[in-house]
Amino acid sequence: MPAVYGLIDGNSFYCSAERAFAPALRSQPVVVLSNNDGCAIARTPEAKALGVKMGDPFHLVRGRRELRGVQWLSSNYSLYGDMSRRVYQVLADRVPRVEPYSIDEMFLDLDIPVDLAVFCAELRREVRQVAKIPTCVGWGPTKTLAKLANGIAKDHAELGGLCDLRDPEVRADWFRRLPVDEVWGIGRRTTEKLKAGGVETIADFVALDLRAVRDSLTVVGARVQMELKGVSCLPLQLMAATRQGLACTRAFSRPVTTWEEMREAVAAYAARAGEKLREEGLEACQLAVFAHTNPHNGDPWHSANRSARIEPTSDTRTLIVEAVRLLEPAWRPGYRYAKAGIMLNDLVPAGEQARLFATRNPQASAKTMAVMDTINAQHGRGALRIASTGIARSWATKAQRLSPRYTTRWEDILQVDTY
Amino acid sequence: MTPPRHPDLTGDGAYRGAETTGFVSPASDHIEGPIDLTDVLDLRRPGRYPVKVLGEGLTHRGILPGDVLVVDAAAEPHAGVVAIVMIGGDVLLGQLIWRGGRWFLRSGRPDRLPLALTEDAEVWAVVMSLVRERV
Repeated sequence: MPAVYGLIDGNSFYCSAERAFAPALRSQPVVVLSNNDGCAIARTPEAKALGVKMGDPFHLVRGRRELRGVQWLSSNYSLYGDMSRRVYQVLADRVPRVEPYSIDEMFLDLDIPVDLAVFCAELRREVRQVAKIPTCVGWGPTKTLAKLANGIAKDHAELGGLCDLRDPEVRADWFRRLPVDEVWGIGRRTTEKLKAGGVETIADFVALDLRAVRDSLTVVGARVQMELKGVSCLPLQLMAATRQGLACTRAFSRPVTTWEEMREAVAAYAARAGEKLREEGLEACQLAVFAHTNPHNGDPWHSANRSARIEPTSDTRTLIVEAVRLLEPAWRPGYRYAKAGIMLNDLVPAGEQARLFATRNPQASAKTMAVMDTINAQHGRGALRIASTGIARSWATKAQRLSPRYTTRWEDILQVDTY
Repeated sequence: MTPPRHPDLTGDGAYRGAETTGFVSPASDHIEGPIDLTDVLDLRRPGRYPVKVLGEGLTHRGILPGDVLVVDAAAEPHAGVVAIVMIGGDVLLGQLIWRGGRWFLRSGRPDRLPLALTEDAEVWAVVMSLVRERV
């Protein structure tokens, strides 16, 4: 186990990825919106200062006078994923091991014989120069302390984006100043529980008897306390966990009220889920499908959902037939459906399940799907698709403020003017 | 089922010059696949970005409008290189020069003075190679 863990985290990662290619955005407040341009999910400090909150619905706040200068952008996940890949590669070239914890945060093995303050400053500079993302770095003897250090670096500009929590005295000082909910793994419920017991600061929490913590917060809470004391319980994970299930769910761009459209949408999601399954060489043994209204619009709540076991498959045609067959009896006319989705569970490696009473021909199915996937790989996703997934798709997710996919699409690459 | 006409479509069984059915291919130990320009141009490196040229200011360096340049953000800028500079909200391509202790961006146009790179200017990346789709 490394003696020092680091956490590097992109500042307003999505906004920074946008600013990397559009210098005009660097002097303006920027907000990135969720799917369907629904609500704010990333904000630059300027946008935060203007009062844009996480989750603010775009259609409600866009008219506010003080927000006139804000640049609102659709989420460009192709770009963010590729910029995250670049950050990872820069780090992997410099430190022994990197755990990509999320698209914008990576844990580092910093068990290296160097002056870490100098090294991490250089790491930040290099990520900024090469992958174009400004970051903060925190480090300490455990992952929980590295995460806390990172948060401190982010909240205290005077630290220059760096925070070292290796020294127990430095830690104790911060522990007395910070509320317990700043700790990774201490959620809202736990905080309430702790507050009821008079625990306000991290110092209060660390001072609790370990057995008392285990009794009220289970072994998970006890582990957090151990980590805060400098005893490492969470090792670096270098591989993503194997999939337990796979989902394809999306909010519609407008309410769906006819069965024809709902059937189309569900078929389209089933088709995408099938593609994902085949990309990973898996088959699903259980399928769930749902559709529901949005009570926040003032519509009455209604949720249609069904699930069933299916013969193991990754065949798009089978998934569509099963999904539509399942949802049809649960669908009710008269409701304005806002969202639908498919969930596949009980995933097994393709071709591994014994098929004593198979009703379909798996070889023929695999061949047809392989042809379809090859054509779609060559001519773009959706070039060849099942007709029931719809042609016009007016319900499909809208992203009307999408920036170019600068690094993943040949037609979208950055254009530069000669001086 | 009729066999597909393009071996590509059979996935794993694609013919690459070695997978003969009758006579053993004498090339089977020497198959290397087509040249991959992603490797040649080193596009997997984290600092490599492709960009498209607008304008005719660098024709004297053989860089034409419509050309795609592969630039490297990890490369150290030095005098004489062609680089992308982000300055005051603009993205500009030009030649870096060092004069009187300061960096400038030189234009290929005779009627334009070199642009002084101020504090807020960022040398975004240095041009490494050029791709021209249609010659």
